Amino acid sequence: MTRLSVLALLMATDGLAAEPLKLWHAYRGGEEQAIEAAVKRYTDKTGVQVELLSVPYDAFSSKLTSAIPHDAGPDVFIFAHERLRQFHRLKVIAPSTGRLDRSKYIKSTVDALEVDGELYGYPLSLKTLALFLNTELVPDAPTTTDDWLKALERTTDPSKPRFGLAYAAGDFYLHAPFVFGFGAKLFDDTTGRATFDTPGMAKSLAFVKGLQDRGFLPQEVSGALVKSLFNEGRAAMVISGPWFTGEIDQAVKYRIVPLPTVTETGLPLMPFLGVEAALVSARTRQPEQAQALAEFLSLGEATALRVNPGRQIPAELAAYELTEVQQDPVISAFKDVAARAVPTPNTLEMAKVWEPMKLALRGVLQGEVAPEAAGQLAERRYRALNRDRPPDAPKLPYAIALVVALAGFAFWRWTKRGPAQAFARRYPEAARGLAWVSPAAVGIFVLIVIPFVWGISLAFFHHDAGEYSFVGLANFTDILTSKGYRVTEPLSFWFTLAVTIAWTFVNVTLHVSIGLALAILLKDPLLKLRGVYRVLLIVPWAVPNYITALMWKGMFHRQFGAINGLLSALGLEPVSWFTQFSTAFAANVITNTWLGFPFMMVVSLGALQSIPQDLYEAAEVDGASKWTQFRRITLPLLKPALLPSVILGCVWTFNMFNIIYLVSGGEPGGATDILVSEAYRWAFQRNEQYGFAAAYAVLIFFVLLGWTRLTRRLTGPEAA
Amino acid sequence: MTVLATPSAVNRGLERRVRRKGTPAETGSCTLPRVSGLRLVGIKKSYGDNPVVKGVDLDVAPGEFLVMVGPSGCGKTTLLRVIAGLEQVDAGQVLMDGQDLTPLPPRDRDVGMVFQSYALYPHMSVKQNLAFGLELRQVPPAEIDARVAEAAKMLELSHLLDRKPKALSGGQRQRVAMGRVIVRRPRLFLFDEPLSNLDTALRVQMRGELARLHRQLGVTMIYVTHDQVEAMTLATRVAVFNKGVLQQVGPPLELYHRPANTFVATFLGSPSMNLFEARRDGSRFVGQGFALEARGEVTGEVKLGLRPQDLSVAADGPFSGEVEAVERLGFDGYAFLKTAAGPLAARFDGSVPVDVGQQVKVKPLGDVVHLFSADGAKALWHPEARR
Ligand SMILES: Nc1ncnc2c1ncn2[C@@H]1O[C@H](COP(=O)(O)OP(=O)(O)OP(=O)(O)O)[C@@H](O)[C@H]1O
Ligand SMILES: [Mg+2]
Repeated sequence: MTRLSVLALLMATDGLAAEPLKLWHAYRGGEEQAIEAAVKRYTDKTGVQVELLSVPYDAFSSKLTSAIPHDAGPDVFIFAHERLRQFHRLKVIAPSTGRLDRSKYIKSTVDALEVDGELYGYPLSLKTLALFLNTELVPDAPTTTDDWLKALERTTDPSKPRFGLAYAAGDFYLHAPFVFGFGAKLFDDTTGRATFDTPGMAKSLAFVKGLQDRGFLPQEVSGALVKSLFNEGRAAMVISGPWFTGEIDQAVKYRIVPLPTVTETGLPLMPFLGVEAALVSARTRQPEQAQALAEFLSLGEATALRVNPGRQIPAELAAYELTEVQQDPVISAFKDVAARAVPTPNTLEMAKVWEPMKLALRGVLQGEVAPEAAGQLAERRYRALNRDRPPDAPKLPYAIALVVALAGFAFWRWTKRGPAQAFARRYPEAARGLAWVSPAAVGIFVLIVIPFVWGISLAFFHHDAGEYSFVGLANFTDILTSKGYRVTEPLSFWFTLAVTIAWTFVNVTLHVSIGLALAILLKDPLLKLRGVYRVLLIVPWAVPNYITALMWKGMFHRQFGAINGLLSALGLEPVSWFTQFSTAFAANVITNTWLGFPFMMVVSLGALQSIPQDLYEAAEVDGASKWTQFRRITLPLLKPALLPSVILGCVWTFNMFNIIYLVSGGEPGGATDILVSEAYRWAFQRNEQYGFAAAYAVLIFFVLLGWTRLTRRLTGPEAA
Repeated sequence: MTVLATPSAVNRGLERRVRRKGTPAETGSCTLPRVSGLRLVGIKKSYGDNPVVKGVDLDVAPGEFLVMVGPSGCGKTTLLRVIAGLEQVDAGQVLMDGQDLTPLPPRDRDVGMVFQSYALYPHMSVKQNLAFGLELRQVPPAEIDARVAEAAKMLELSHLLDRKPKALSGGQRQRVAMGRVIVRRPRLFLFDEPLSNLDTALRVQMRGELARLHRQLGVTMIYVTHDQVEAMTLATRVAVFNKGVLQQVGPPLELYHRPANTFVATFLGSPSMNLFEARRDGSRFVGQGFALEARGEVTGEVKLGLRPQDLSVAADGPFSGEVEAVERLGFDGYAFLKTAAGPLAARFDGSVPVDVGQQVKVKPLGDVVHLFSADGAKALWHPEARR
């Protein structure tokens, strides 16, 4: 490794001047053509060779942060500004302060590139939200919310039905303009901490709720719905970004205008602004050339190429003087829009805002929480999710406890040892035996023992931004005392445990009863096409379960789902499955039952076939009805075969992450999350609290351990 | 055939005691099962295209011990299952005490059946096995206990009541299977080769117990077996079946002495009856290589039947042949000969030397000739003393 890098270094210094600049990006289609053309111009002009690499977006960020520190990364790369602070912290990017000419760009796009007083990179293009008007329905752009409401009133027509406005209102990204427009601040100026419980926040929520209540805005809007409503002329206005232009039908006449100003506060509705920047690697060996390339990409010819064929909204002011841009209603419109936009904060704090805001927003839109109370709800969720770092625990007592425990265990084994006999005598072939088992033992050690011990150890640490600190049992006590929230809240361990147990119980009961019933039907030799049914019924089991989960998720959709389609065809009210606990839970159960019954059916079928037919005949002669035969003969004789499957089924269901995560996603408000999905969220969606999640996992382990011990005791005498 | 069906208004679920004249007196037992007669009328049953029971008419008197015999696959089990209600008939009726059982499911027929495989409930103790049928009939618990205890005592199972079937020996299981029927006191007992799984000693013992049980309970029993000794010792009457057809039914000795056709004649008795083709010639029957002085007002072609027990190897006789095998039962035994008319078995005793390969003569011991029609379907003549 070291030898290789030395070699690489030697080669690098050797051919310094000749080495091409490396440029990484994640563009596709027209955007990719634009960057290729721009780079070609650059090489033509300066003679500097540039090597382009297109990286899949999903892996881009992690690739950059792992490659650059090892000198294997690019000299220049293109990335959205939201990650700047992280890149800065990992020392991946070089500042452009002093070199960058602020006056050449839209002001907000340069603001977005600032981290702790330094500027990084050169703004290329921007993304933000604007108001799309169907000009046939709304010829004049509303400038204030009062105007807007009038236009909405005028264009909304429940008989069609036609809505004045459509946008994904449940998404905080789309709600943010209202928050800022009603004068609320997302972060406290002095502490930098997120704030939710503010009058502006309440007003913004009340305003949007009003739009929905007055029928201006459809419920539970998704991106796909926005598109179809606008294209069918059933939504007069849409809030969306530049990407939406690609989704609008040719036939629709539309205009893009900035979002209106709130009459009450005089502030515009200010959307978030995302800026794509050309960033220079902190480890580049040719900083001058790299800076020059990055700057070149953000200005002049490169900008023109970005407009065409790239169809991006440029950050450079001069671009808007180009005739081509002035004639382009879409791109030119975004200059004004961008002027009002607020750069999405690149702070770590921003990452903590999404989940609480989503909770508040959904709660208000679904009518479960009053707009005034929603801020507090979000605040509580925020506090729960962003636990204060527990105090460091002294390590010594734990070390002593560990040693004592290990010694105690060793002593206990020693007292239970076999008769005192030379090991070699008792196991004369020990060496050969050990040789045979060692591959498996190594496998088990590496794949099971190490992760297990690692996971348990992790539960005693607190993780924050890459740093682990030993906190003793604090994670466990916080979980078990549900610190920061009530026991009856979805975030509480006990609440989730209760949900998990109910989930397991309901599922396994359904799996066994449906599986058994079908097995009994299928066993009947009079049934025609038995073989066909058997295969068909096993199909749900054979399909990968996340595919099934996604299919069911689609079928449960409020507006387009097959199930609601069926209900409305039967003249029943469509059900909004994921807004209430009971229906969301039911949706999960239905999906998992669909997945789970075939296993129980197969097990039951096998067990049923092992019951001799003459027992039923004897029982029949003894006077037993069919039902009595089932109860007194079938069930007791199935029990030994079925019990292990039931125990296994309980463990599987208890940890059935996929279904919960993919079908209800924990909605509403995390209430349908089970312990594993909750643990996952703590680890990967809530500020990377790995230690806390590991403590969850340890608790899950103990719950299941207790369960298997209990069932072993229950079945023990049976087995004996 | 008179119509004997009575409306099923009879309260089947309730205990019902039927006493009849001629019921064997109870011996010792404090309770007396009901005793019923059974009548089968024109029973037909086939599996697919394969006729298994081809029109059986049979009367079983109350208290009778009827044994059914016949070669494997002749439909005995099928007939029992028809009686129990486990199989639907294609035609015919099953009548018990004049009541038509044909449309009733097994649980309403009030018959008890001991299966060839015992079919004990493996998850229940002996006691639960015995009590099961009573529980289902909602007999009060106190009475269940009493009846179970009584049956267990009778079958010497009292010390095994808490065991599961798999912890029992074959004979014990067999007795549990029997006890399960006994406690219920059904109107009719059906046994399907209950002793076939047992070793000889146990079989002999159980045979005795069965006979005692029948005496003690005096109930009607129908019993299927392959074992001729069982048939002969247990039966009040024996029914012989072949290919789904009832060949003859009657007391064991009558069947032995007066078989209705060559099938019955050869099926019962061991070694089987010798059969030769012969023709009347004056006072004698003449066949291939023999001429036999015999009575019987029969003319023309016949089948001539001689039981090996009625033949003796002697210095002189109408049959002669080479000894092919010898079955010695001590001092005496049976010799198997090859004669011109076909194979022949005959008794011998110590007074004549008999060895394989030897040429010997055989003579009948008196008036012992059975005569059958040439196709064997009909008996024409039986020896005087056995008529
Ligand atoms: N369920 C069935 N389906 C088709 N054929 C059957 C069925 N049960 C019995 N048979 C046939 O019916 C005929 C009579 O069977 P059954 O069991 O009554 O004979 P059995 O007299 O009891 O013979 P064994 O003395 O060997 O027990 C046999 O040829 C058998 O193959
Ligand atoms: Mg049989």
